[in-house]
Amino acid sequence: MLKLAQSLKFRQLLFSNRLSALGLVIVIISVTLAVLFSLLGRGITPYDPYALNLQQSNLPPSTSHFFGTDFQGRDIFSRVIAALPIDLGLPIAIVLFSSMLGIFLGMAAGYLGGLVDEVVMRVTDLFLAFPTIIMVLAVAATLGSGLVNATLAFIFVWWPPYVRLVRGGVLEVAAEDFIAVSKALNSSVRNIMFRGILPNIIPSVLTYATLDVGTALLEVSILGFLGVGIPPGTPELGTMVGSISYGLYTYPWQALIPAFVTMILAVGFSFLGEGAREASDVKVRPYILFRAFRKTPLPGRVPITQPAISTPSSGD
Amino acid sequence: MNPSVYLKDFLSLLVKRTIGAIGVSLGTITIIFLISHVLSPNPARLWAGPRARASTILAVQARYHLNDPIFLQFYYFLRDLITGNFGIDPLSGQPILAEIRFYLPNTLELVFVSFAILVVVGIGLGYMSGMRFSTPVDSMIRTIYLASWSTPMYLAAILGILVFATYIPIFPSGGMYSLSLSPVRSVTGFFLVDSLIELNIPAFLSGLQHLILPAVVLAAVNFGLISRAVRSSILNVRWSTYVKTARAKGLNEDEVKRKHILRNALIDATSLSAVLFGWVLTGTVVVEELFAWPGLGQFAFQAIYSNDYPVLIPIVVVFTLGVIIANFVADVLYSILDPRIAMGAQTGAIS
Repeated sequence: MLKLAQSLKFRQLLFSNRLSALGLVIVIISVTLAVLFSLLGRGITPYDPYALNLQQSNLPPSTSHFFGTDFQGRDIFSRVIAALPIDLGLPIAIVLFSSMLGIFLGMAAGYLGGLVDEVVMRVTDLFLAFPTIIMVLAVAATLGSGLVNATLAFIFVWWPPYVRLVRGGVLEVAAEDFIAVSKALNSSVRNIMFRGILPNIIPSVLTYATLDVGTALLEVSILGFLGVGIPPGTPELGTMVGSISYGLYTYPWQALIPAFVTMILAVGFSFLGEGAREASDVKVRPYILFRAFRKTPLPGRVPITQPAISTPSSGD
Repeated sequence: MNPSVYLKDFLSLLVKRTIGAIGVSLGTITIIFLISHVLSPNPARLWAGPRARASTILAVQARYHLNDPIFLQFYYFLRDLITGNFGIDPLSGQPILAEIRFYLPNTLELVFVSFAILVVVGIGLGYMSGMRFSTPVDSMIRTIYLASWSTPMYLAAILGILVFATYIPIFPSGGMYSLSLSPVRSVTGFFLVDSLIELNIPAFLSGLQHLILPAVVLAAVNFGLISRAVRSSILNVRWSTYVKTARAKGLNEDEVKRKHILRNALIDATSLSAVLFGWVLTGTVVVEELFAWPGLGQFAFQAIYSNDYPVLIPIVVVFTLGVIIANFVADVLYSILDPRIAMGAQTGAIS
C-alpha cells in the first residue's frame, strides 16, 4: 500500500478530489482574465470600467449589463474584471514576499540555531500576537493610502507563520541522514542550505501559500470594504461592496455580486490549497487513497473496505 | 500520577506563562509605538489629521511630545498606557479610556456569544465529519466549512441582514436593543447581564434578539478552522492502537468515543481556540459597522474613517492585549486538558 501511495503522482492524488479540481479551474480562469485585462485593458471588457454614465445608473442585471450598473452608471461586470488584477495581484504579492521573508528568516533560525534562532523566534512570536486586520488597518493608516502601502501593511503582519513553518521544516530535514552525509563530505554551508534543505521545504511552503492566497484575498477585500489603504474609485471588489451601503436594500445586487465574486475567488484558492495539503501530507495520503479507490478498485486487487493501512499516529 | 506533583508543575507553568504573556505585551506595545511614532515620516501630521493647519500641528507636536527624543517619547507612551491616560478624543472631547470602557463590554458580549456558538458548532461538525469519514455527510460538511471560511465577512453580514432582517424580518437589522424600551441602568456595562440584574425581562429578550444575528454571522465565517482540526485529529486517532485497546478492555462504544476519541480532538481544538478568538475579535470591525453595534470594532472603524489617529492607537493596543489574554487562557486550558504539557514543562519530557 505504501508503495502504491508513493507510485501515485501528486497530481493524480490532487485530482482524485473533485473540490480541488474545481479550485484549480477557478484559479486558472481568474488569473487568465486578470492577465488579459492588465495586458489588453479595455479590450476584453464590454464597457469602460471607469466611464461614468449617470443616465444608466442603478440598472438591474440584464443582457446588455450582465451584472447591472452601479450608482454612477458604471458597468459592474467590467469593473469586476478590472478588479481582478488588484484582487489577485495584491494577495499573490503579499504571500510571495511574506514567504520569501519567512524562508530567509526560518532557514537562518532553523539551521544556524543558537542566538539567531532565539532572537528570530522571539520577534516572530511578538508579531504572531497581533490581530491581523486591526494591525493592517493601523499600518495602512500610518503609511497612507495607495496600493503599494496596502501591500506593505499586509506583509508587515503576514510573514510570521512562514518563519514557523520553514523553521520546523528545516529542523526536520536537517536531522536526516543525507544532510549528515553531506556534512561529512565537507559540503559548504551554502550548498547544504540551498541544495539539501531548501528543495525539501519548498513543497510545504507552496501548499501553505496556496491556501494563504485565499485568506489574503479576503483580508485585502475587507481593507477595500472599510475604505482604508485602497484609493477610493479603484475597481476593487471589497471597495465596490463598501461603497454601496446606503443602497443595499434597493439595489442589493450591486453589493452581492462583487461579494460573491470575492468568495468564488477565495474558494478557488482554498479548495486547491486544501487538496494540495492533503495530497502532500504523508499522514493523510492513505486516507485520500482510500477515498480515491473505493469507487474504482484497482484491477487485480482486493477492494479496500477500511483504511487498513497502518494508521499514521501509531507509527510515530 | 501524584496530584501534588502535578499541581506544582501546573503552578510553575502558570508562572512561566504569565511572565511570557507580560513580555509579549511589552514587546507588542513597543512595536505599536514604533509604528505610530517612527514609521511615519511626519508623525505630527498623522496625529493631527491630513487637513490640519500648521498651528494645530504645532499644538499636537507639543501635546504628544513629538519633538522629544525618541526614548523619552517611548517613556511617555508606556507611562500613559500603564496609568490609563489614553488622552482625549479630539472628535468627541471625551477621555478615550472612558469611551473604550463604554464600547468594550458591548464588543465582548458579542464576541463571547459568537465564540460559544463557533466552538459548539465547529466541534460538532468536525466530529460528525471525522466519524463519518469518506461518506456523503463528510464531504458535505467539508464543503460547508471550506466555503464558509472563504466567505468574506461582509458578504455573510449583508446576506444575514438581507435575508433574516429584510426579506424574512425575524431579527432586527441593527442596534443593540429596541430603543422604545426604558433604558437599563449600567452596572457591569454588559447589556444582557445588566438587564438580568434588574430583572428587566423585555430588555433582556430584546438584547438577545439583536445579538443573535451578528453573533451567528461572526461564528459562521470563522468556525471552519476548528472543524478541520477536529476532523483531522479524529482521523488520526480513530484507528490508532490506543482506541483499539480501549475497545479491547471492554469499554462501551459511547465511552470510547467520548473519553478517547473526542477528548483527544478537544485538546487540538483548544490550542486553536486562541487564534479563532482573535479572528472573531477582529471580525467585529466589519460586523459591528454593518449591524450598527456600538462596540469597539465600530469605534475603530470610525476612528480610521475620520482619520482619528490618537484614538486608533489605544484601540489597537486593546485589541492586541485581548488576543494575548486569549492566548494565555488557551495555553492554561490546554495544560489542564493535557497534563503531559505541565509535566513536560517541568521535566523536559516533551520536547
